[in-house]
Amino acid sequence: MASLPQQAAADTLGAKIGRGVLYAALILFAAFYILPMLVMLATSVKDIEEIRAGSLLALPQAITFEAWGYAWNEACIGVECTGLAPYFMNSVLMVIPSVFLSSLFGALNGYALTKWRFPGANVIFGLLLFGSFIPFQVVLLPMSQTLGFLGLASSVPGLVLVHSVYGIAFTTLFFRNYYVSLPDDLVKAATIDGAGFFTIFWRIILPLSPSIIVVTVIWQFTQIWNDFLFGASFTSGGAQPVTVALNNLVNTTTGVKLYNVDMAAAIIAALPTLLVYIIAGRYFVRGLTAGSVKG
Amino acid sequence: MPADTTVTSSDAETGVRGWLQRHLSKLVVAPSFLAAVIFFYGFILWTVYISLTGSRMLPDYELIGFDNYLRIWRLSRWETAFDNLFIFGVLFILISMAVGCVLAVLLDQRIRAEGVLRSIYLYPMAISYIVTGTAWKWLLDPGIGLEKAMHDMGWTSFSFGWINDPDMAIYTVVIAAVWQASGFVMAMVLAALRGVDDEIIKAAWLDGASLPNIYRRIIIPTIRPVFLSAFVILMHLAIKTFDLVMALTAGGPGTSTAVPATFMYDMAFQRDRLDFAATSAVMMLATVAAIIVPYLYSEIRGPRRG
Amino acid sequence: MANLEVRNVRKSFGDTHVLKGISLDLDGGEFLVLLGPSGCGKSTLLNMIAGLDSITDGEIVIDGRVVNAVHPKNRDIAMVFQSYALYPNMTVKKNIAFGLEMRGVPAEERERLISRTAELLQIDHLLGRKPAQLSGGQRQRVAMGRALVRDPKIFLFDEPLSNLDAKLRVDMRTEIKKLHARLGTTIVYVTHDQIEAMTLATQIAVMRGGVIEQLAPPQEVYEQPANMYVGGFVGSPPMNFVPATLVEHGNGLAVRFACTSDGSAGDVDLPLADPSEDLAPWRDRKVIFGLRPEALTDYNEAEASIREHAHAFDCRVDVLEPTGADTLTYVDLGGETAIARVNPRRTTNPGETMRLMADMSHASLFDPETERRI
Repeated sequence: MASLPQQAAADTLGAKIGRGVLYAALILFAAFYILPMLVMLATSVKDIEEIRAGSLLALPQAITFEAWGYAWNEACIGVECTGLAPYFMNSVLMVIPSVFLSSLFGALNGYALTKWRFPGANVIFGLLLFGSFIPFQVVLLPMSQTLGFLGLASSVPGLVLVHSVYGIAFTTLFFRNYYVSLPDDLVKAATIDGAGFFTIFWRIILPLSPSIIVVTVIWQFTQIWNDFLFGASFTSGGAQPVTVALNNLVNTTTGVKLYNVDMAAAIIAALPTLLVYIIAGRYFVRGLTAGSVKG
Repeated sequence: MPADTTVTSSDAETGVRGWLQRHLSKLVVAPSFLAAVIFFYGFILWTVYISLTGSRMLPDYELIGFDNYLRIWRLSRWETAFDNLFIFGVLFILISMAVGCVLAVLLDQRIRAEGVLRSIYLYPMAISYIVTGTAWKWLLDPGIGLEKAMHDMGWTSFSFGWINDPDMAIYTVVIAAVWQASGFVMAMVLAALRGVDDEIIKAAWLDGASLPNIYRRIIIPTIRPVFLSAFVILMHLAIKTFDLVMALTAGGPGTSTAVPATFMYDMAFQRDRLDFAATSAVMMLATVAAIIVPYLYSEIRGPRRG
Repeated sequence: MANLEVRNVRKSFGDTHVLKGISLDLDGGEFLVLLGPSGCGKSTLLNMIAGLDSITDGEIVIDGRVVNAVHPKNRDIAMVFQSYALYPNMTVKKNIAFGLEMRGVPAEERERLISRTAELLQIDHLLGRKPAQLSGGQRQRVAMGRALVRDPKIFLFDEPLSNLDAKLRVDMRTEIKKLHARLGTTIVYVTHDQIEAMTLATQIAVMRGGVIEQLAPPQEVYEQPANMYVGGFVGSPPMNFVPATLVEHGNGLAVRFACTSDGSAGDVDLPLADPSEDLAPWRDRKVIFGLRPEALTDYNEAEASIREHAHAFDCRVDVLEPTGADTLTYVDLGGETAIARVNPRRTTNPGETMRLMADMSHASLFDPETERRI
């Protein structure tokens, strides 16, 4: 409702007070959301003495990145004192193929299910759609058996398989809802022009899809990077993704609690998705709402 | 649109190529279909089956009937988990919806710097629940976090030790979850508000309706579907909540913040009770299905679908 | 130039029968318009000719070859869509080139064909643009260019003008007519606009509910509609339908219907121009008397004396609708509203009685039960 008519009496005293209250409320809410992150950031650059002595809310007196370095390659996760670095790499190696595979299948499914419908297409879509709502607890046990059977237990390729398979439900939903809105006439025209299934996909449909590809890739990237359940259930030791490692690091009880290291590690684990959000927030929001409206 | 208005291959070319051309669409979807049948539905059946057995550390395929579904309710831990899910679910959904709606309506008042504020409200949705849990665990720790900060500022009587109190710890999970997800409700409601037809609002304005009245009588009823969507998604998030509890309280103190998801994980991977793990998983699925299936049905069959 | 034959073609989705046995035979170079309201099956028929929709039963034959099972790209047809269906990601040039490329036409040949087509349609200056940068009329031209460049045996047009504004629609209509005259290619053209059908077609197939109600040249469809539906669909305003009785009149027959004049109701008898033998069984029975508005005009003594079958009668005027050239005058004939085209200088005020003249050489008679032409 961007064009609500301007109130004629917008500059009365009452209206000004109203605006003041409005902005105050908005800023208070903003503080609620932003403060935890700011405090984390501030704490991660303090040294441990300053944290103990000083206030949580105080700005750091001397900025030091020691905690960051420590979290990255020295901190102990379980008994291994390698820092987050190898686990971060696990996440990278897991997320790239998973996002690629699930998005590719999602795009092909969306295209086939909307533009080349066949009897039963809606049933297949319904099966996949419901799959995007399954609580994954219900597949954990058989999946861990299957991964063991395939020799992929506690490995990054195993996680890639899991994330690709369970990602397809959402990516298909995204692409299908987008392709439904592309006119069927395009496919008809291209068919008469002599193009086949894959030619139409590559030459006509994909070039029209950059926005939905970005939305899907960002969504999948965020979901898979942030996953904890599959990582915790299917991997142990050196194959764990960064979220699991972070949780272990924070809950390692031996020795002195290094809050600055915990916070640095948390920010490191959050950094990739935060960066994506900052760079492409618009598409992130579209993914959130696209996943909720079944179009 | 009837199914056949899209291209129907009517290729005369016989042999392998013609057959491929005609069935390409099905072939392309087939791997995903197979994956869904095996990895979604086959696995669900397997879990259901295990829930009817006395499996411990390893699957035992001898059926024992529905015993597990009765026995699980005698475990205080499961009872706590289910109660917690209820408390957590209701509070999380209500507060997230309320906060999200308030934020959306406030942001809808031609706000300067709307984009920046919106980004701030929404960014927690982009980070992992583990990170959220880590941050809030530390903020809520009485010895180091908010309580200490207040003491340092001179408010020595300030006390906020919920996270260590078995009766109150579940509410800290609610706080962290609301922090993470309310921006998402804001984004959905705001998008819906922007989608309301300007002319309807102008007409109401000319009819002399006040701003609160326009919201209450016209805008909110118009965007009602988005509340349903938000509700369903929050409910779904609530039932799946696992990471946040693991990072924030690890189910503690004691088992006071256990939820069905952590119960299932514990049974499966810590206690070697596959039977209870499967049983709790099936009950989670049943809860989700009870909400999602009618919703999906109405969305797919709904009047908006052409 | 190719002839097109449709043999008893049916299309069903389960129990829904969209086309219930369509047959037509079109010579090479004809311009066939499939005319009918939305949902009559005209677009489905077009899609089946194109090969975009499967055929439940029957045959489609292009140049003597049954093409039921031939892929669209091998039917040598081209189609212009209502939505134009231009590929949004390609420039105009690439849009036009795509079909040639798919058929493996060498690059140089493509260039030559594209520039020839662009010149013909006056879109040379648009070749570098994307469809989003074009106006509606320009898109329309590009869509036609994409069809023309391949020089197909048959052109298919699916309501190509319905997305244009009124002025542009008339211009493009003329242009399509010129193109047909110049290229002489067989065209099948779908529209719900009866004026488009009348102006463009060499043959009109009026469709309703999955059947062809009449297939004939435009003038025949207009003057001798096969049934009341066609008479009502074609022509604006539509044909007047007056409930009447066929009575004996001298040596011949006349239609008798009620009409109010000078404050009192009375019967009017209008003798038929050509009371053929076939009408004998209808004597003293109810019929529907159909008359185009332009055959029902103001009485004009000079004209009445020239025209052999013009007959005058008096009737009360209900409503006047001036259109500029004519004033549409509403009268009540036999209990139904009828419209007369009256010279604006000779109108009467509503409520007054006016002298009208019916040209019975353009009269049609219909069976009130079946609504078919007698």
